[in-house]
Amino acid sequence: MEVLVVFLPLLAFLIAGSIALFGGPKATPSAAGHGHGHDHGHDHHAHGHDDHAHHDDAHDDGHDDHHAVAPPPTSGDRAAQFVTSGAVLLSAFLSWLLFFDVAVGGHPRTIELATWIRSGGLDVSWALRVDQLTAVMLVVVNTVSACVHVYSVGYMAEDPQKPRFMGYLSLFTFAMLMLVTADNLVQMFFGWEGVGLASYLLINFWYEKPSANAAAIKAFLVNRVGDFGFALGIFAIFVLTGSVQFDAIFAKAPTITGVTFHFLSWDFNGLTIACLLLFMGAMGKSAQLGLHTWLPDAMEGPTPVSALIHAATMVTAGVFMLCRLSPVFEYAPSALEIVAVVGGLTAFVAATIGFTQFDIKRVIAYSTMSQLGYMFFAVGVSAYGAAMFHLFTHAFFKALLFLGAGSVIHALHHEQDMRKMGGVWRKIPFTYAVMWIGNLALAGLPFFAGFYSKDMILEAAYASGSPVGRFAFALGIAAALLTAFYSWRLLFMTFHGKPRMEKSVYDHAHESPITMLIPLGVLALGALFAGIGFHQWFIGHDRAEFWGKAILALHEHDSIEAAHHHLPGWVGIAPLVVGLIGIAAAYIAYIQIPSLPATFARLFKGLHQFLYNKWYFDELYDALFVRPAKALGYGLWKSGDGALIDGVGPDGVAAATRDIAGRASRLQSGYVYHYAFAMVIGVVLLIAWLSVFG
Amino acid sequence: MTAVFPDIWPALPEIFLAVAGMALLLIGVFRGDGFTRPVSYLTVVVMLLAAILAMGYGAGRVVTFNGMFVMDAFGVFMKVLVLVSAALSVILSLGFNEREQMARFEYPVLMLFATLGMLMMISANDLISLYVGLETQSLALYVIAAFRRDSAKSSEAGLKYFVLGALSSGMLLYGASLLYGFAGTTSFDKIAALFAGGAHASPGVVIGLVFVLTGLAFKVSAAPFHMWAPDVYEGAPTPVTAFFAAAPKVAAIALLTRVLIEPFGHLTAQWHQVLVATAVLSMLIGSFAAIMQTNIKRLMAYSSIGHVGYAMVGLAAGNQDGVRGVLIYMALYVAMNIGAFAVILSMKAKGLMLEQIKDFSGLSKTNPMLAATMAIFMFSMAGIPPMAGFFGKLYVFLAAIEVQDYTLAVIGVLTSVVGAFYYLRIVKIMYFDEPLVVVDKVEDDGMTGILVVTSLFTLLFFVAPAPILNGAAAAAAALFAG
Amino acid sequence: MSTPLIIEYLPILVFLLIGIALAVVMVGASYIISPKNPDAEKVSPYECGFEPFEDARTKFDVRFYLVSILFIIFDLEVAFLFPWAIALGDIGLFGFWSMMLFLGILTIGFIYEWKKGALEWE
Repeated sequence: MEVLVVFLPLLAFLIAGSIALFGGPKATPSAAGHGHGHDHGHDHHAHGHDDHAHHDDAHDDGHDDHHAVAPPPTSGDRAAQFVTSGAVLLSAFLSWLLFFDVAVGGHPRTIELATWIRSGGLDVSWALRVDQLTAVMLVVVNTVSACVHVYSVGYMAEDPQKPRFMGYLSLFTFAMLMLVTADNLVQMFFGWEGVGLASYLLINFWYEKPSANAAAIKAFLVNRVGDFGFALGIFAIFVLTGSVQFDAIFAKAPTITGVTFHFLSWDFNGLTIACLLLFMGAMGKSAQLGLHTWLPDAMEGPTPVSALIHAATMVTAGVFMLCRLSPVFEYAPSALEIVAVVGGLTAFVAATIGFTQFDIKRVIAYSTMSQLGYMFFAVGVSAYGAAMFHLFTHAFFKALLFLGAGSVIHALHHEQDMRKMGGVWRKIPFTYAVMWIGNLALAGLPFFAGFYSKDMILEAAYASGSPVGRFAFALGIAAALLTAFYSWRLLFMTFHGKPRMEKSVYDHAHESPITMLIPLGVLALGALFAGIGFHQWFIGHDRAEFWGKAILALHEHDSIEAAHHHLPGWVGIAPLVVGLIGIAAAYIAYIQIPSLPATFARLFKGLHQFLYNKWYFDELYDALFVRPAKALGYGLWKSGDGALIDGVGPDGVAAATRDIAGRASRLQSGYVYHYAFAMVIGVVLLIAWLSVFG
Repeated sequence: MTAVFPDIWPALPEIFLAVAGMALLLIGVFRGDGFTRPVSYLTVVVMLLAAILAMGYGAGRVVTFNGMFVMDAFGVFMKVLVLVSAALSVILSLGFNEREQMARFEYPVLMLFATLGMLMMISANDLISLYVGLETQSLALYVIAAFRRDSAKSSEAGLKYFVLGALSSGMLLYGASLLYGFAGTTSFDKIAALFAGGAHASPGVVIGLVFVLTGLAFKVSAAPFHMWAPDVYEGAPTPVTAFFAAAPKVAAIALLTRVLIEPFGHLTAQWHQVLVATAVLSMLIGSFAAIMQTNIKRLMAYSSIGHVGYAMVGLAAGNQDGVRGVLIYMALYVAMNIGAFAVILSMKAKGLMLEQIKDFSGLSKTNPMLAATMAIFMFSMAGIPPMAGFFGKLYVFLAAIEVQDYTLAVIGVLTSVVGAFYYLRIVKIMYFDEPLVVVDKVEDDGMTGILVVTSLFTLLFFVAPAPILNGAAAAAAALFAG
Repeated sequence: MSTPLIIEYLPILVFLLIGIALAVVMVGASYIISPKNPDAEKVSPYECGFEPFEDARTKFDVRFYLVSILFIIFDLEVAFLFPWAIALGDIGLFGFWSMMLFLGILTIGFIYEWKKGALEWE
C-alpha cells in the first residue's frame, strides 16, 4: 500500500509525460491562457454555459479574443487528465487509510525498497519510512494534490498543453512523497531537489512569458543557496554521526552535543552548525526571511501550482524537515533560538508586506510566507506538534484560498489586480463563500481550522518562557492583527464595493465549472473541520500517543505541555481579539470609508513605499549580489575568457598548429640527399645524446 | 664437424611460402600475363594457408637452424597478422592493376616473396637472419614500388626507396658488425645471456644498437627516418601504398620488438631514450605535417608515421603490457588502414582514380555507404571511442602511464588531438561540403568484401575484443618468457 | 707456442713482397724494353665498351646491363661452389643438399629469365 501511494503518481507522470511527448499533434504554446488580459472564458459565458471545456470550438463571436483559439481537448488530453487525477485520487484515498492505521492506530513502519549507495561508511537505501509524521504529510500532500489535479482539469481547460501540465503535477507529487517518506537524509535530498525541479518547471509552465522565465530562474537560484546549506548540513551530520540514516542519527544525537568544529581560529559547536546549515536549506525551500524573495514571484505559475506547491506542500517541506529532525534539533538549543527568531520575523515582515499588495495572488503568497513563519517559530520553541498541526490546517485553508483566488481570476478573465475587482460576490457566490471560510480559518476565528493551530503556536511561544519565545509571541500577535486585516481587505476589495473592472468583464463574470468547484468544496470542509477534528491528536492530550517516537521534545523544552498548564488567561484570548480588530479595521477602511487607505498611504508615504516595495529586499539583493556577480562574470568573459583563454588557448593553439604544420610540410623537399642527410643527422644526434646523457 | 639436419617444422609456413612462390613464378612465366588473376588468387590462398600453418603451431618456444630461427606465440600472432594483411592487399590490388594496365603476374609473386621476407624477420633470432629477412623483404618492395615503369612518379618512388633503403641497410649492417665486434656473437640468445649475466654495455654496443635501431626505424618509417615515406606513398601505385602501410610495418615493428626485448631486454636504460625520441618525433610529425596535405595518400603516409609513433610509445614502456599494447595497436591499425585504402582505391570518377582530399567533397551525397565507411575509419584513426582505434591508443598509453612515462603519454594524447583534426576534416569534407565529382559505384566484389569486413571490425571491435586481446597478451607473454 | 702473433703473418708479408717485386719487374721491363712511339689512342686509359671521356649521362644499351648482372649472379654462384666443394667432406649430406637446394632455386630463376627473354639479345 505504501509503495502504491508513492509510486502511483510517478506512474501517472510517466504516462502523461509520454502523452505530452508523443501523443497527438503538437499544440503551439502561444495559444496558452497566459496571464493578464488573455482569456477565452468570457466568450463562452456570453452563451451562458458553465463548463466551457466542452465547447471550446463553438465560440469567437467578435470579442477581444485576439490570439489563436485553443484546440478542443484531444483524447490524449483526456487520457492524461484521467490517469493523473485518478492515480492521485487513489493515492489520496490510500493515504487516509494509512493515516488511520499508522498515526491513529500507532503502527509506524519502514519498508526497505533497495540499496542505493554503499560506499565505505556511507550506506544509503531507498526506503519508505511511514511513521506518524509521514502519515500526516501523506494525507496533506495527496489530498491537496488530488484536489489540485481535479481543479486543474477545469482551470487549464483552454491550455493546449494539458498532458504536460498534468504530468508535471504528478511528478511534483511523486517527488514530494519521496521527500516525506525518506528514511535518510540523502533520499530526502533527492525528493527535495525533485520538488525543486517540478516547481521550476511549473513556475515556467507558460515559458513564452519572460516574467515566468525570470521567476522560475529566481526560484531555482534562491533555492540553490538554501540547498547548498542543506547539502553541507547533511555532510556535517554525516561527519558527526557517521550515518545519514535517521534512526542512526537520532540514536547518536544526544552523545555528540559537545563535539566542536574548528574553523579558522574559532571553535563551533558541531551540532549547532549542522542544524543551522539544515535550517538554511529549510529557509530556502520554505521562503523564510532572507531567502523568501522567490516565493511571491513564483506566482507567475498557473494558480493550481501556487495552491499545491507554493502554499500547501513544497514550501512546508522545510517545516517537515525540521520536525523530522526534532531529535537532533532538541540537542542544539542555540539553533532552535535562531529558528524561532527567523520564524517570528518572517511572520511579521511578510504580513506587513501583504497588506500593501494589490495582486490577489501575491497577497496570499505573502500570507503563506507569514504562516510559514508561524510554523518555524513553533519549531523554534520545540512545539513541533503545533507546527505540524498548523502545517496540516494551513494546507487546507491556504490551498482553498489559492484555488478560490484562481476561481476569481478565472471568472474575471485572468485579472489578478484587486484594484480592478470588486462587487462580484453575487456573480460567483460559491467562490465567495469558500473564500470566507478560508479567510476565517486563516484569521483564526473560533472553530475554524486555523484557530486551533495558530492559537496553540502563539500560546506555546509565550509558554516557553524564554526571551526568544516572548519575542516571537509579540511578533506573532502583531502578524495576526495584520493577517486579519489583509485577509478581509482582500475579501472586501475583491467581492464588495463597486465593480472597478470594465463593464464587459463584469457582465461576463461567471462561476467556475464543476470540476473546479468540487475541490473547493472538499478543501472548504478541510478548512472547517481539520482543526476541530484533529486537535486532540496533534496537540491535545492524545498527542504523546499520536506522535509516538516520530517527534521528540525534551521535557524541559515541551512548550505545548507548558501551554496547557501554566498560561495567563489573556494569552489565549489575545489572538482572537487582534483578529477581530483586524477584521473591523478592514471593514472600516474598505467598506465604510473607502478613501481611508489612500489617505493613510499619503500620510505615511515613506512607510507605505517601504512596505509596498517589500522592504526593498529585491533591490538590496540586486545591488549586493546580482550586479557584482554580473559585473564579475562580464569582466571574466571579456578579459579572462575572450582575451586570455581564447587568445592563448583555442585560437592561439590553432594558429600555432597551422604554422607548425606549414613548416613541417616544407621540410619535405623531395631531394633524396636531403632525406639521407636528415637520416644521418638523426643518427648522429641520437648517438650524441646517448654518449652525453645515456 | 658434421652439420646436423635441422628441425624444419617450425619454419613450415616460410618453406611453404617459398616453394609456392617459386611454383607460382613458374606457372606465371609459362602462362603469361593473362594468367595474372589466377596467380593472384592462388597467392591469396597460399598466404592464408600459410597463416593456417602458422596458427597450427603449438605453444612454447622452439629455436632451430643453429639458433638462427625462432618460433613462439609472438611469431604466430605477428605472422598471421602479416599474412592476412598481405592477402588483403593482394585482393585490393586486383581491380586497380587491371584498370591501370599494370596487371602482371610478377606483382602477386613479388608480394609473396616480400611476405616471405617478413616472416623471416619475425622469426629472426640472429643478426644475420635478421638482415637476410629484411633484405628479402626490401628487395621485393623496391621492385613493386617502381612497378609502374611508365610512370615517372612510380619510378621516382622506387628509386628513392631503394637509395634510402640501401643507406639504412648499410647503417643496420654497420651496427650489426659493431655489435658482433663488441659482443662477440650475432646470436640473439647469446647476446641476451651476455647482458643477463651483468655484462657492461660498452659504448660500442650502444652505438651498434643505435645503428641497428636506425635501420629498423627506417623500415617502420619512424621519424627522423621517415622522409621517404610521404614521397614513396604518394608516388607508388595506390595498392602498393596500401601494402606498404600494412604488412611491412607490422613485420618491422615485430622485428624491432623482438630485438629490443629479447637480446637487448637488459639494456632498457640505453634504448629507452632512443625510442622515446623517435616516438615523440614521429607523433609530432605524423600529426602536424599531415595537416597541410592535399593528397590523401600523402596524408595516409603521415598518418602511418604518427601511428608508428603511438605504437612505439607502448614499446618504450619495455614491459609485457607495453608489448601487448603494441601488438593490439598493430592489429587494429592494419584493419583500419587496409579499410581506409580500400576506400581510397574505390574513389574513382569515370574510371579515373581520385587522390586529392578535395575529391572527397560531398561523398556522403554521391555515395553514402562509402562515405560512412570512410568516416568509420577516420573516427577510428582519430581514436574516438568506441571505434577500434581508441582501444589501440588506450592500451599503449596505459602502458606508458604504468611505467610513469607521463610525458610520453601526455604528448601522445596531445598529438592525437592534433591528429584528430585532419581525420575529422575528411569527415567534414565528406559530409558538409558540396560534391565536386560523382564517384563511381564500387563494383569489385573483393573490394566490397574488404570494405564491409574491415569497417565492421573497426566499428564493432569493442563488442568482442577478447580474441585479439588474448592473442596479443599470449604473444607478449611468450616474448618475455623467452 | 710462444711465437708472437706477428710471426703468423709472415707468409702474407712474403706474398706481398713477391707481388710488389713482380709488379716492379714487369712494369720496369716493359718500360725499358718496349719501343716507344705513342699517339693519342695509345696513351688514353682503357675502358671496355665506353668512350673514356664523355658525359656520364649517355644512353647505353640496357641489354648490356642486364646480361652483366645475370652474369654476376651466376659468377657468384660459382664463387660459392668452390668453398663448398672443398668442405664437402666435413659438412656431409646436409651440406650437399643445401647446395642442391640453392642451385635449384637459382635454376628456377634461370628458367624465369630465360622464359622472359632476358637472354635474347634481339
